[in-house]
Amino acid sequence: MAILGVDVGGTFTDAVLLTDENELRTAKIPTARRQEESVLAAAAAVEAVELERFAHGTTVATNALLERKGARTAFVGTDGFEQVLHLRRQNRAELYQLCAEHPEPLVPLDRCFGVRERVGPDGVIAPLELDSLPELDAEAVAVCLLFSFRDLDHERAVAAELRRRLPKARVVASHEISPEFREYERASTTAIDAYLGPVVASYLRALGERVAAAGLPKPLVMRSSGGVASLEEAAAHPAVALLSGPAAGTVGAALLARSAGFENAISFDMGGTSTDVSLIVGGRAELGAEREVAGLPLRLPAVDLHTVGAGGGSIVWLDSGGAIRVGPESAGADPGPACYGRGGTRPTVTDANLLLGRLPAILAGGVELDGEAAASAFGGIDPAAALEVVNAEMLRALRVVSVERGHDPREFALVAFGGAGPLHACALADELEIGTVLVPAAAGVLSALGLVASEERRDRVVPYVRPLAEVEDLPAEGEADLRYAGQSFELTVPIQRDLAEAFHGAHEERYGYADRTRELELVSVRTAETRLGPVFDLPPGEPLHVEGPATVELDGATCFVAPGWVGDRDGDSTLVLTRA
Amino acid sequence: MAERDQTVKIELQVLGSSLRSIAEEMGAVLIRASFSANIKERRDCSTALFDERGRMIAQAEHIPVHLGALPDAVAAVRAREPGPDDMFILNDPYAGGTHLPDITLVSRTAVGFAATRAHHADVGAAEPGSLPAGSCRLDEEGVVIPPTRLDEATLDALTARMRNPDERRGDLRAQLAANRLASRRLEELCARRGRELVAAATEELHSYAERRIRAAIAELPDGRFEASDVLEVGEGDLELRAALTIDGDELELDFAGTAPQHQGNLNCPLAVTRSACYFVVRCLTDPDTPASGGAFAPVTVRAPEGSLVNARPPAAVAAGNVETSSRVADVVFLAFGEAIDIPAQGQGTMNNVTLGNDRFTYYETIGGGQGACPDSDGPSAVHVAMSNTLSTPTEALELAYPIRVERHELRLGSGGAGRHRGGDGVARELRALELCRLSILSERRRHAPQGRSRGKPGAPGRNLLNGEELPAKVTRDIQPGDVVRIESPGGGGYGSPGLPAS
Repeated sequence: MAILGVDVGGTFTDAVLLTDENELRTAKIPTARRQEESVLAAAAAVEAVELERFAHGTTVATNALLERKGARTAFVGTDGFEQVLHLRRQNRAELYQLCAEHPEPLVPLDRCFGVRERVGPDGVIAPLELDSLPELDAEAVAVCLLFSFRDLDHERAVAAELRRRLPKARVVASHEISPEFREYERASTTAIDAYLGPVVASYLRALGERVAAAGLPKPLVMRSSGGVASLEEAAAHPAVALLSGPAAGTVGAALLARSAGFENAISFDMGGTSTDVSLIVGGRAELGAEREVAGLPLRLPAVDLHTVGAGGGSIVWLDSGGAIRVGPESAGADPGPACYGRGGTRPTVTDANLLLGRLPAILAGGVELDGEAAASAFGGIDPAAALEVVNAEMLRALRVVSVERGHDPREFALVAFGGAGPLHACALADELEIGTVLVPAAAGVLSALGLVASEERRDRVVPYVRPLAEVEDLPAEGEADLRYAGQSFELTVPIQRDLAEAFHGAHEERYGYADRTRELELVSVRTAETRLGPVFDLPPGEPLHVEGPATVELDGATCFVAPGWVGDRDGDSTLVLTRA
Repeated sequence: MAERDQTVKIELQVLGSSLRSIAEEMGAVLIRASFSANIKERRDCSTALFDERGRMIAQAEHIPVHLGALPDAVAAVRAREPGPDDMFILNDPYAGGTHLPDITLVSRTAVGFAATRAHHADVGAAEPGSLPAGSCRLDEEGVVIPPTRLDEATLDALTARMRNPDERRGDLRAQLAANRLASRRLEELCARRGRELVAAATEELHSYAERRIRAAIAELPDGRFEASDVLEVGEGDLELRAALTIDGDELELDFAGTAPQHQGNLNCPLAVTRSACYFVVRCLTDPDTPASGGAFAPVTVRAPEGSLVNARPPAAVAAGNVETSSRVADVVFLAFGEAIDIPAQGQGTMNNVTLGNDRFTYYETIGGGQGACPDSDGPSAVHVAMSNTLSTPTEALELAYPIRVERHELRLGSGGAGRHRGGDGVARELRALELCRLSILSERRRHAPQGRSRGKPGAPGRNLLNGEELPAKVTRDIQPGDVVRIESPGGGGYGSPGLPAS
């Protein structure tokens, strides 16, 4: 039985099919306005039939958030705190641009309501007065009451009442999605989930119907945390799928690294307008507990992804101090880089790569590259210098996910993919003293491969916020978020026998000291139920040996083997670059 | 030759990016390892790297008031010829500090210095929180630490003189961790790229920022422009005067005519005044300029000795850093307003509230309305000038302190009307659950933030205790059950309210 992965991106939809004969078929088609059509078309392009499993990465949730096309949402908070989404954390959007605005909250002020009740750190302070809940009219409601992570009764009762009154509306209570302290971040996460609910659920419903009609199994949906959820789970809480595509890329990178013998790797996905970097430790993607999406805080486990607003299509320019800058403006797909000859006149990273001989005259897809157009776009700017600048940005991101998280990049392999990743990988590896760069044969569809290989996963967070010494009911497995009593940020330690000592050790490594006399506080325990994904070998590739400088044409990308590097492909289809 | 120059320059630009990430990593370590809400939740701290000459080369962008003031701390330590492994601690406003709660650690790195500054919740004044409303001499505001070599014994001795010594020690250790991280990272960088090259990069960072800011100043009209504004004290108003001279690609700010230093604590050292000037210059010229000393090289700040904005010992300074600095920014904006278009005034205060007793100290500043800009409304509920601290989440606050938050909401309608509206202020109500001392340092209670180009003023702020109005600056006992309500000012509007937004 075959396994299918379909990843819908902003521009292209990628499919990877793993057949019974261990053959990998790939396809890349332009994304249609209705994503379910792209999914079906991509599945057809790889001739997917008799599937055992079908996993899907989607940008429907992300797009709805970025384009603000979610539901008409209301917010219910504790009376006196109902404006929490508008108060934020009182810092301004830009330190030196006084009127720069944060993104508008998902719920306007006139749809923020208070309900009389109050829970404090030690329990109920004022009883819930359900009749103080106003009549409201909305397609979705987010409920976030103070201290619901400690005592959820009031919040649960309010949510139940709203569901009774508004049977058609999507109602989300904060303890259902993010039962953790700090009310603004929790409220924001709840609002995002409620806002996306109707849109994503209707997409998934449509997709489910189309897929069933085509005789394919019900799709699983990639979560931000790198495991797949059932269609129903994703429809119930779409906020868990906001980083669906990039998470799939990291899973694909982990698979590639593991099959090349690396448990530790850095995933480097450089596309046209942005670049995603993440860390793989012990064969798994490192997760973060909180991040921003579209400028809004989201407190849910997600692949700890660092994104840089620069990629192959980014514009190169000179600022008033005479420094070369790259991005965030991009030539996009239209007009594209100057060398594409489609009317672009401003220099891009891709043009720089062409001028330095790192791209062939004709791309694999048949696009003929115009060197003269690239040269005239660059004018007086040195293309080599432009690449140095963009690489410096990439380097910062690579350092953030490795060095700043306490990992030595020299112990990692670099997995380079996306249209532009394999062009820049050697230079970055040189800087970080990374010895091995892995480039997948299908550098353009690694996310879809990650979907094929993904495990099923259900994340659970249990809040404690209690002294560790008083906790007796720890699960046998999972991760504990611990801190010294009084700190606000936790270090995550795998649950083990001497949990306290494990924390002291981690603190010492991270901050240079441990204080074994201080009380420890257990903030939360994270567990994940997982069911392993399919195990398979990457198919063999055409044997190859090249010595840098050289370029290697791949499916959907070009790899530049820098001077001092050699590239080998023996065994599977992955191109392995090492220092000569 | 031009090509070689460009290659070298790019290499330096790349190194500059590494230096910036080190400063940012220092900031992350300090926040994550710290214990008091003011640092861990509100991020009232800054971290920066300096070259051998003590010029700032990179800063994690947290708090503007630290921006121009940290170099003085490094200068004060440099003068004491620190050895390679020395760690210095200081908070003396007359020797590199700003006000006593801001404790600064300065250490050596392979190419210069690293500094961390954090606002500590208490530094041992008679009043919990060490931001008393009524102090008249510096030594009433807490432990004064001149630049001192820091070892474990000094750390214990200093923290023993402050409230919650255990928390203070934890916070200082977080600062130490950040300083040590800087040394380690710079050593690694020098080992990889060579010390010479890293030093050259610091030089290039400096001159790059200077080129950018000079280019931006050159765009401004030449001339001399004057303005004045006031601070509110019990007996009346204190005047601040600023004269701005723009000459080619340089400018000077002169505070001659400003009120003499005051018997209260609104005074500030010159470092704080300079910070506020740099802040305004950066806002109005090139906000993206990297935080490096070069950005301030073309800016000269003069202030009469012994004035409110260049105080002499033993004047008290607690409110200078938080309140006077806001007014310096306002008056400098106004002076620029005689030359170019500027935003309306923001809330112009940080609304400092401290609650505490011998068991705990809670310190918070409260955001308010931003003034409207020529092309957009002013944001609501934000810090507007020299601060950018976060609010303490209600849940974090109540888990840590015997205080209950009763309400936290926008002061709707407090922003001034205009073609573009000023941002709204905030109302925050705190109920004390134990007998404790309350200190409030606030401004813009009598004088509202002004509108611009016929925009209306924002609403002034108010402080209430159980519904009764309190003065702008107050220190007093409060009983369990008492409710303190702070209403922060709204920002001024921009343009005539009658005209539709263009």
